[in-house]
Amino acid sequence: MDATRESRPAVDARLGAEGTRIDLDDVCRYFTVGGAVVKALDEVNLHVDEASFVVVLGASGSGKTTLLNIIGGLDAPTSGTVRLAGVDLTEASRAERRRIRRRTVSFIFQSFNLFPGLTAGENVQFGADVAGRAEPTRVAVEVLERVGLGGRVDHFAHQLSGGEQQRVAIARALATANPILLADEPTGELDFRTGVQILELLRDQAAAGKTVIVVTHNREISRVADRVIELSSGHIVADGAPVGGRAAIGDLHW
Amino acid sequence: MARLRLMARWSWRDLRRRWLLVGAIALVIALGTGTYAGLLGTSAWRTQSNDASFALLHTHDLRVALPSGATTAEGGLAAIAAGIPHAADVTGARERLVVPTQIAGPNGLLVPGELVGTDARPGPMVDGVAITAGRGLTAADDGRPSAVAEAAFARKNGLAESAGLTISGGARLNIVGHGQSPEYFLVTGTQGGTPFLSQKSYGVLFTSLRTAQSATGAAARVNDLVLTLRPGADRAAVAGELRGAIDAARPPLAATVTTRDDIDAYRILYEDIDGDETLWRVIALLVLGGAALAALNLTTRIVEAQRREIGIGMALGTPTWMLAIRPLLFGAQVALLGVGLGLVVGWAVGIPLRGVFVDMLPLPIWRTPLQVDVFAQAAALGFALPFAAVAWPVWRALRVQPVEAIRVGHLAARGSGLAPLLRRLPLPGRGYRQIPVRNVLRTPRRSALTALGIAAAITTLVTTTGFLDTFNGTLDRAENELLHTAPNRVNVTLDGFQPVDGDVVRTVGALRQVGGVDSGLLLPSTARSGERAVELALEVVPAGARWRPTLTAGSASGGLVLADKAARDLGVGVGDTVAVEHPQATATGLRTVRTPMRVAGVHPNPMRMFAYVEGVGAAPFGLAGRTNLLTVTPAPGAGSDAVRRALLAVPHVASAQTAQATTEGMRDSIEEFVGVLRVAALVTLLLALLIAFNTTSIGVDERSREHATMLAFGLPARTVLGMTTVETALIGTVGAIAGVLGGYAMLRWLTATTVPEVMPEIGVTAALSAATIVQAMALGVLAVALAPLFTAGRLRRMDIPATLRVME
Repeated sequence: MDATRESRPAVDARLGAEGTRIDLDDVCRYFTVGGAVVKALDEVNLHVDEASFVVVLGASGSGKTTLLNIIGGLDAPTSGTVRLAGVDLTEASRAERRRIRRRTVSFIFQSFNLFPGLTAGENVQFGADVAGRAEPTRVAVEVLERVGLGGRVDHFAHQLSGGEQQRVAIARALATANPILLADEPTGELDFRTGVQILELLRDQAAAGKTVIVVTHNREISRVADRVIELSSGHIVADGAPVGGRAAIGDLHW
Repeated sequence: MARLRLMARWSWRDLRRRWLLVGAIALVIALGTGTYAGLLGTSAWRTQSNDASFALLHTHDLRVALPSGATTAEGGLAAIAAGIPHAADVTGARERLVVPTQIAGPNGLLVPGELVGTDARPGPMVDGVAITAGRGLTAADDGRPSAVAEAAFARKNGLAESAGLTISGGARLNIVGHGQSPEYFLVTGTQGGTPFLSQKSYGVLFTSLRTAQSATGAAARVNDLVLTLRPGADRAAVAGELRGAIDAARPPLAATVTTRDDIDAYRILYEDIDGDETLWRVIALLVLGGAALAALNLTTRIVEAQRREIGIGMALGTPTWMLAIRPLLFGAQVALLGVGLGLVVGWAVGIPLRGVFVDMLPLPIWRTPLQVDVFAQAAALGFALPFAAVAWPVWRALRVQPVEAIRVGHLAARGSGLAPLLRRLPLPGRGYRQIPVRNVLRTPRRSALTALGIAAAITTLVTTTGFLDTFNGTLDRAENELLHTAPNRVNVTLDGFQPVDGDVVRTVGALRQVGGVDSGLLLPSTARSGERAVELALEVVPAGARWRPTLTAGSASGGLVLADKAARDLGVGVGDTVAVEHPQATATGLRTVRTPMRVAGVHPNPMRMFAYVEGVGAAPFGLAGRTNLLTVTPAPGAGSDAVRRALLAVPHVASAQTAQATTEGMRDSIEEFVGVLRVAALVTLLLALLIAFNTTSIGVDERSREHATMLAFGLPARTVLGMTTVETALIGTVGAIAGVLGGYAMLRWLTATTVPEVMPEIGVTAALSAATIVQAMALGVLAVALAPLFTAGRLRRMDIPATLRVME
């Protein structure tokens, strides 16, 4: 046992204290592909210190998904420091990182990543259960109703449309009640109308006090963000409010 | 509780979705564990059956036997036993007259054997006869020409329950039934005087004492007493008292007192169990090992396919133990089903094994229950295996970053693998037609895993079938050696040493059915070199004999010609000297002496007991001008059966056996092994088929996303199927070649280590027949290549968008 690692109660206490804070300092993430080094992220510094709706914008290959994975503790940086809710992820053990993911962040994936062997209700119940929510079955039904899938509780993933699957994935993330939501191209596989519905759901979460970070290549989506961070070739090239001010979701077109 | 219910539901759905695969893997485990339990359970079967059979027939604890040819007055031996201090320990005593004889019967039957006459007085049975057909002897048969024929002898010669037989001296006996008695559950070479005597060629007839006395002209005479003792009696003390009483008897008796342990059949039946178990354990472990490796491979790959879901769980922060539950539940399903099916397979494997043993080792009672303790060992392994198989991929999945585990297509090639090897190699076809070869090389780990699964199955199959080839090859070599000249000759053993120019030899030579007679000697001997010793049936071959051993080294004259195996076991070669313990005739009888003999040559017969010395080198035996072995060549137009029949009338002829009968006896001596190996080979064939299909099916499943992409691009299903077939055939070829090589290596190792321990008397050389190699290659290539065809329906019905979206 590494004596320098914090105990679970200590981690939990600090999670409560520093809730949704995200700090990335000089983060680099390099991959070696066919002998060549690809710099997915290079000297990235990013700080999110209050609940907000953040959009990370960038073209394909700009490093935005890598950034999201590193923030959520799914991947580790090659160098630099990542602190999430007060915990240094780069120094954390696997178990500590897992615990932070369980208590702090929730993921929404572009390809949904639902468990095909579970129904919609069970997928959501799984998320609530993992996060330690009481009565996960009840929570699952409630959250599915909130996302408009109350009638689809017993359907399997393959019996749902793409938009419905993404809403189940969001419901699973919401059921954890974790303060940070990380969404990787959540509208990438959806039509405009369904995409807008999803964005509304996510915006509502930010309004309710969560930090929502959405990764997208769709510049239109960035118009509804509180803050837009633009990535290019692994560097942050812009960071601030949307150009022209925040738009209403109803004003979006793509 | 809610979590448990969720996990249980999830697991149940997994099972329903993969029931065929779960069942198939379970069957692989079942074949391994069931065969293990079945093969190793045979030791307990034999022990329990031996115990029950010897107890049923009240096998004697002590036997008092007079020397060959000697008899004493009826009642004398029983009186001696009744007079010893511990007479109260004797619970049963029967006087007998046991006489060697020749038996002639229907369909040209003519064999050496024994007439066993037992007193029919009321009282406890000793060395009883268990009737298997017809009826047993009753009080009414006392003194009448009624006999019970030994069951195996009767069955193997097709003897009817009511046949009439003629024994030496011309007496006729009517068979009233067939039966088994402890001393004759097996016959041994010592009983017939020649090596490799089988129950077919050695007859035993059980009669009443009075019948035996009248048939042999030994009225009121006996030569044998068998006794049973009460449980707990001191057998050695009673034996000692009997010896003392015999020594004190007047007139003196030259009887020997032996115990139950001295009964050849008793000793061999128990001793063989341990030796045979060594070989069965190897075969069982081989089958179990093959099944274990395959189960590990298959289970691992199924759980590997769940790795993405494990990654999703990791992304959600699921605790490790919870991530492991689902694969473990899968392992538990496989394990439970495997162990359950293993019981069925164990029972099913037991059926042919039981048949082999009942046929080869005739006992009146066969107890063949499933051996729970042996099965428990196999079941424990069968239960543990799927869990071990689950642990590996879960551990692998948990070791990587969640983002790695969650990536779609984690099973796809990450790099070029071994494909660069092909850069300069022209491949047939263009474009996508080259994909199969590239696929195999781009994913070397997956290809290797598939090939390994196939190789494991083929290795097991080749080793087991190779054992059959090896034994058959060994017997063929022995047969070729014994029958290379004068194959129709008859080997005649005499009941003592007769003058070469005496009446017996003259009478035999004068028979019109006889074309020629070679007079030789057959002497039980032991060759020693340092600490090593080999039992020999040493034959003195007369000059000009019609049959002589072929030589692989040295010469026939100037010393001993040993079997290659005997020379190797003794660590000697041509020109070396060994010490031979052999009988030597003196003025007062035979004595055992030790004579140094030079090894003059080596012959190729794999049976190491056969040893030869030319007549001129036989001086150490002191038997110049004497013979106890005649090699008779039939006259033109006369067959060997006619010769054997004619020999019946010649006094002092103990046995007359064709050369073929000796080779048949050899085959019989390993028939039990061959029978069990056939069962094991059948199981491994099933196992190999199952593994090949499973491995390939999983491989095809892993490629489903690529297939969906090809179909999406408009390739017809048959083309996709064809490419898959080529790919699996390539992997199958690699697996089959590796399997054949592995099987041969395993076979060589076993024939060099285990087989010599189990069957030291046979020189076994590893051999694979062309049929075995072709069978293994056909299985490895054809069966594996054809396996994708069974997925044709699934491919045609494939939901392309769904498959392309996510590969679970």
